[in-house]
This record gives sequence, C-alpha cells and structure tokens, in this order.
Amino acid sequence: MIYYLTTLLVYGGVDAIACLGLSQQFGVAGVTNFGFIIFQAAGAYTAGVLSLPSDSANGAFQSYVGGLHLPFPFPLIGAAVVGGLLALPFASIVGKRLRGDFAAIGLLVTAVMANLLVTNYRPLLNGAAGLSLVPSPLGGLMNPQSAGYQWGYSAAAVVLAALTYLFVTRITNSPYGRTLRAMRDNDLVADSLGKNLRSLRTSSLVVGGAIAGLSGGLLVGFINLWDPQAWGYAETIVLFAAVIIGGLGNHRGAVLGAVLVPLGFEEASRYIPAIGSPGLIPALQWVAIGLLIVLFLWFRPQGVLPERRRVIAGAAFAEQSTASDPAGAGQRAGRVLGDGAPPPRAPVPLRARGEAGGGDVILEAVGLVRAFDGVRAVDGVSIAFERGRLTGLIGPNGAGKSTTLAMLAGTLPVTEGRILYRGEDITQLPAFRRARSGLVRTFQLASEFKKLTVMENLLTAVPDQQGDTFRGAVLGRRYWGRQERAATERVERMLEEFGLTALADRYAGDLSGGQRRLVEIMRSLMAEPEVLLLDEPMAGVHPRLAHQIGERLVGLCERGMTIVMVEHELAIMDEFCDPVVVMAEGRVLAQGTMASLRATEEVVEAYLVG
Amino acid sequence: MSIFIASIAFGLVTSAVLALASVGFTLQFAVTNVLNLAYGAVMIASAFIAYAVNQAGVNVWVAAVVAAATGAVLSLFLNNVIYTPFQRRGTSPIAMVIVALGMTLILEFGTQAIAGGTNVSFTMGQGPTLQAGSFQLSGVELAIIGISIVSMLGIHVLIRHTRLGKAMRATAANRNLARNCGIRTDRVVTLTWLITGALCGLAGAVFAMDAGTFGATSTDLFLVLILAAVFLGGPGEPYGAMLGALVIGLATEISAAFIVPDYKDVVAFVILLAMLAVRPTGLLGART
Repeated sequence: MIYYLTTLLVYGGVDAIACLGLSQQFGVAGVTNFGFIIFQAAGAYTAGVLSLPSDSANGAFQSYVGGLHLPFPFPLIGAAVVGGLLALPFASIVGKRLRGDFAAIGLLVTAVMANLLVTNYRPLLNGAAGLSLVPSPLGGLMNPQSAGYQWGYSAAAVVLAALTYLFVTRITNSPYGRTLRAMRDNDLVADSLGKNLRSLRTSSLVVGGAIAGLSGGLLVGFINLWDPQAWGYAETIVLFAAVIIGGLGNHRGAVLGAVLVPLGFEEASRYIPAIGSPGLIPALQWVAIGLLIVLFLWFRPQGVLPERRRVIAGAAFAEQSTASDPAGAGQRAGRVLGDGAPPPRAPVPLRARGEAGGGDVILEAVGLVRAFDGVRAVDGVSIAFERGRLTGLIGPNGAGKSTTLAMLAGTLPVTEGRILYRGEDITQLPAFRRARSGLVRTFQLASEFKKLTVMENLLTAVPDQQGDTFRGAVLGRRYWGRQERAATERVERMLEEFGLTALADRYAGDLSGGQRRLVEIMRSLMAEPEVLLLDEPMAGVHPRLAHQIGERLVGLCERGMTIVMVEHELAIMDEFCDPVVVMAEGRVLAQGTMASLRATEEVVEAYLVG
Repeated sequence: MSIFIASIAFGLVTSAVLALASVGFTLQFAVTNVLNLAYGAVMIASAFIAYAVNQAGVNVWVAAVVAAATGAVLSLFLNNVIYTPFQRRGTSPIAMVIVALGMTLILEFGTQAIAGGTNVSFTMGQGPTLQAGSFQLSGVELAIIGISIVSMLGIHVLIRHTRLGKAMRATAANRNLARNCGIRTDRVVTLTWLITGALCGLAGAVFAMDAGTFGATSTDLFLVLILAAVFLGGPGEPYGAMLGALVIGLATEISAAFIVPDYKDVVAFVILLAMLAVRPTGLLGART
C-alpha cells in the first residue's frame, strides 16, 4: 500500500512538472511544441547516463554513452540543462513564419523520428531495451526500497512540483508573462510593438525544455529504467490532452490536468476488471483519451479551469495625478492636449501648426517598390515626412497606401527601394527594432490582444519595462513593481481622457469595433513613438470622437511627434492634415494641402474614377 | 549494384502505395484546408475490415474493394461530423491538428480493441514473379503498382476532364467565390471526401498486403512518409503528391540499400523538414 501511495505521489509530481512546463510553453506563450516529450526523454536519459557507471559494468549487457557515475544532484541538474539545450535547434523550426499546423507537423514528426533513431542505434542509449539498473539518487546512503526512502522521494517530487509551480507563476504574472500572452494572441502585432518574437519563443522553448528535462530526471531516479516505449507519439498527445483539459493558460489547470489525465486515468483503469483480451483495457484507455480530447475541445475548449482575467489594482490615482482634469467629463470635449500623452523622445522646440517649410525630414521613403506575383502594389514611391507634421495619405482603394505604411513600419519586406529614419537606412531593420527606436504603427484590421484586458493591452506597449525581460520576471515584483505602478497610472490617465475607464478590465476581444479602434490608438500612444503610422484610425469611430482624436493628434504633433495617417475621411484631412499625399495605383500623384489638391485635376479624376 | 536494382523494385512498390495515400491526403487538404492526421488510422481500420472479410473466405482483391468502401464511409464521417463543425466554429489550425490526433487515437486503438493486439496477415497467394536480373517483383507487387497507376490516371481524368474536377479545383482555390458562382461546394466537399476516402481505404489494403504482417499501429510511421510526399510536392497539389510519392518511395528504399535499413524512414523525415524550412508550398506549389 505504501509503495502504491508513494508511486502515485512521485508520478503525480513528475506529471505536474511536465504539464506545467507545457502549460508555460503552450498555454502562455502559444508555442506549439508537439515534440515536447523529447525533452522529458532527454532529461531521463541524461540523468540515467550521468548516474550509471560505465557501460562495461554489470556484465556489459547495456551499451550507452556517458556512464559517469555521478552522485546526486548532478544527474538531475544535468537532466534540466540538457532539456534546455536541446530546445535550441527546435527554436529555429518554430520561429519561422510557418503556418501553425505545418510547424506542429514538423515537430511531431521530429519526435517520432527521434524515437526511431534512439530505438535503432543501440550504442547511443541501448536502443529498444533502454537503460536499466539506473541508480537511485542517494541510494548509497539509504536503502532505496525502504519506506523511508520512498516517502522521502515522494516529498521531493511534491516539493519540486510546488517550486516549478511558483516559478512559472512568477514568470506568467510579470510584465514578461504579459508579453508572452500578447505574442500568443497576436504575434504580428506584438512584433510591431517592439517585442522580439524570436528571442521570446526561444526562451520559452528553453525554459519548457528544462522543466520537461527535470521531470524526466526525477522519474528515472525513481523507476530506475527508461526506454523508447515511454516516450512515443501517443505520450505527447497525453500531455497536450492534460493541459487542454485542465485549462489552457492557467497553471493550476495544468496541475489539475496532470492529476486527471496521466495520473487519474492510469489509476482508474487499474480498478477496471481485466475483461476481454489482455490488450483490451489499455487500448480502450487510449480511445477514451482520444474521446476526451475531442469532447473537451468541443464542449469546453477553455478547460476545467479557464485562464483567469487579470485585474490590475489601480494606483491611488485621484490624489497623485495633479495634471488630470478635475472638472471631469463635461470638460473633456474641448481638450486639445492630453495629459496622459508621453513626452516625445527627442525634445523639439514648439512649432505652430502650418509653419511653412524648413522642418527636417525624419522619415523618408526612397523609390519604394513592393511587387509579388507580377503585381506591383507599390511602384516607386518616394515621400519625405517632416518632423512635427501630421501628414495624411489618401487615395482610392488599392492605391498601395497601407502597403507603403507596412513597409515603412517593417511588417512587410521591401522589394526595392530604401527607407531612411533619422538619416539612417533602416530598410533591413526588423519591425520590432523599428518600434523600439520610436517608429510605431497601428493596423487596419482588428489587432487587439483578445485574451488580455484593455488595461493589459495598453501596458504591453509601454517600452523599456524592467519586468519585460526573463531576468526581470525571475527577480519578481520587488524588482519591477514600482515601474509597473507608474505605467498603470499612465494607462489610467489615458483611459480617462478617451472616456474608456469603465472598460479597463474587460477583455479587449469583447469590445465593439469603435472601442477596439480607440484601444489601438491609445496603445500606440503608450509606446512613446517618435513617428506614429496610423492605418485608418477613424474607421468605425463616431464623427465627434474622431474630431477629438484629430485634435489630440495635432496637439501631439505640436509637441514634436510626427504622424502619418492613412484615411478615407476627407473632412479629417481638410481639418487636421498638412501636407496630404495622394496615391493611386501604387504611385504618388500629388502632395500639398487639401485645398490645393482639390484644385488639381489629376487628383480629382483619380479619386472619382479609381 | 544488384542490391541497388532490387531496391528500385521495392521503391516502386512503396511509391505505388504512397501515391494512393498521398493523393487522397493532399486533395482533402486542398478542399477543406485541414491536415487530416487521422488518415493513417482510417487506412489501417479499413485494412482490418478487409482482413475480417478476407478471413471469412473472400478473395483479397475483393476485400480491397471493401476496404475502399470502408475508407470512404469513415472519411466522410470524419469530415462531416468532426472536422466541419469545428471549422465552422473558427477553431484554429493548431486545435484542428489536436482534434485530428484525438480521432487518430480513437480510430487506431478502437481498431486494436476490437481486433486484438497481435499482428495479422491476409490470406493470399503471391502470384507469379517477374524477374529481370536483380529486378524482381511478385505478382501481388505488380498488381499493386497496376492499381496505383490506374488510380492515378483516374484522378487525372477526374481533375482535368470532369465538371466535378473543375468544381473541386474551384472550391480548393476559393470556397466562397466558388459558392457565389453557383457551385454547390458542400456537395463537392462531400464527394471529394468520399473519393479520397476510397483512395485511403484502398491504400490501407495495399499497404497491408505489401507489409505482409500488420497491426493497428502499423501506419504511424507510414504517415510520416505520406506527409513527406505531400509536402515535397506541395500541400493541396495532387500532381505534386504523385511526384512526391515517387521520390520518397524510391529515396527511402534506395537509401535502405546503403545505410542501415532501420533508418530508411529518416530520409523522408529529413526531406520533410527541409521542405518545411525552405519551401513549405512544395515543389509544385505557388511560391508566396
């Protein structure tokens, strides 16, 4: 009975650790690593070959690399390290702009093949027979068969599981965790807000790999053997099933899933009488797991414990922000300058709107071309954007306006031409680096982080957060807490000005179209841009509010920000933009104030006809 | 040299089985945009139904037809009852993969639960052997190649010279547009899955014949070969799948002659990964 309980506890601990690793990787960071089981296997094998004596011992019936006969805790540490290192080559598969399901196939097949290679290449890890007689950690000090040792091992497993839980929770609850979730929800947008996707995915894989390796090392020390049967194709599916059933994006759900699926399932089948042929019950077990997966994904895709909505405690904002408008809502309509607006990066002397000429060029497109499949969406566009101006970009549908904007921001590669920012050639610079140096864009179509609250959406955009690195996340709230509070206050002020305070804790995915548009604009402002590229910001927004936003944008320009706005609303252009650039069929037609453009025949024709 | 020639013979048989399977798989992807990872499971379930019929005294080739019918029914069920409802709900491609894997477990281990865990074989003669030096093919192997060639021709005629084929290509290219042009896309999808399901079942039967002995999990590794052939030719491209099947079938068998035979599938794996990394649209797919 004791052995039964201790075995249950150890397996429970091991499964919980593995599921937490997967939950962090898949549930939080959105990295679908169908090869996950390989990391656990690698950990188990590493711990095995590190703790086993040289393979000539024990009558040389096994053949494997290593055999260093290291004492505890080295095999276990080695297991985690190897699990983490093994993740690095995987990062290159996962990172590519590959369709999610294609990438998943690649990883799944890798797992199958790794199993095949290990099974067939005996000198590596003793092939199909696997490793046996793996020494128990500290087996020399205490009899591994004794009840005391068994209970001790169980306690260690539970403690390690608890530590793993605390570790992944700490990471997930930090600004870094928020960035991971943003990447999961919409990686393209996260990229445009300055998040280094490659680095985030790599570190998620490495952390998940290390945790999986740890679980493998822990298990092999207990059961003293490990072979390819333990980590086939089907075992990976079981772990995914556990995390999905328990609850994606919720670490408690991962632990619950570990208890319900790998553990609970194995145990439940123990009590079923052995009916039919010997293989019947195990086969039915797999059928049941398959059924559970499909049924859960249909009826309750969020799992038993869904991802929690994160409500961030508001700072004591009423007393502290002296700059806020105390008169409240009634006064807001007339405001021009927003107080939640960040100061621009490079301080520039104030200029009155419409000051003629002389402004220096901060962003320039030189002969930009975007061609694909024989279509030249942008065909030699050259525009110089002057600092501190609100430039409008108009033209009929298909003119290439959004494409030009995308190339300027870096979210679309350039076929020909150059882009100069502050005098430097940034044509090859990736989007996230451009965002970090102050060139930020918004998107035409829905681009909020759906499973983050509005508050979290805005917080992700804040640049240079101490908590937004892995190291910062591990150091904990004491390290990044203060900066987070300051950022939260800024967000609250911004929400107040736009009149959306009530929405702070709603999921961004639940908002109306116009509200989402506003969240997007606010978010781009939170990123402290020097040059802001807006792609149809007024679409779906109430005309009065659109006017307020326009006023606000002008105010920002007067304080030194440069804004480029693609829009269809000519009234907005009339009132706020100077200069206005007209594009048609991939080229620039004309440039000037709206009044002068209205008088230009080509422009009138292009708009009316095209 | 003689091993080389003999391996070409093996390669042709493998390519034949693979072609039947890959074309079905790729057409399913073309028309529904889902990677039906349960394909291998449907193959082996159909093979086992054929086995049951064969054990009841029916000729193995007739049993193969039964397998095709089973494959058609199972595949239709899979698409209409499982994949389509999930897709209508807006399920992400990754979640669809997990659903497909879940269905694989149900089908494969359901088969194992019913048929038992031991490996079985068809009751069949091997027929006369064709021999030309080291090049050797049994009657069964020749028949398999023949069936495959006929089926490939049939698919070619279907796609290029029938209205249904044109409707399939339109649906694959742009489902909404096809529907707006008056094509009954739901019917096209149903028919596609019936036809490809029949190919799947038939592929399962000939796979089992070629393998000699087979069990419920025998197609797990074969699915990797199918994926390699499909991605080599380009997902959704039937001619690409045919080309891919030829290349993968020959490559794996010829490499088995030179490296340890246990690793021959690794060649397919490397090709698959390379295609995913470098050109996921495949050799015959449009370059994005």
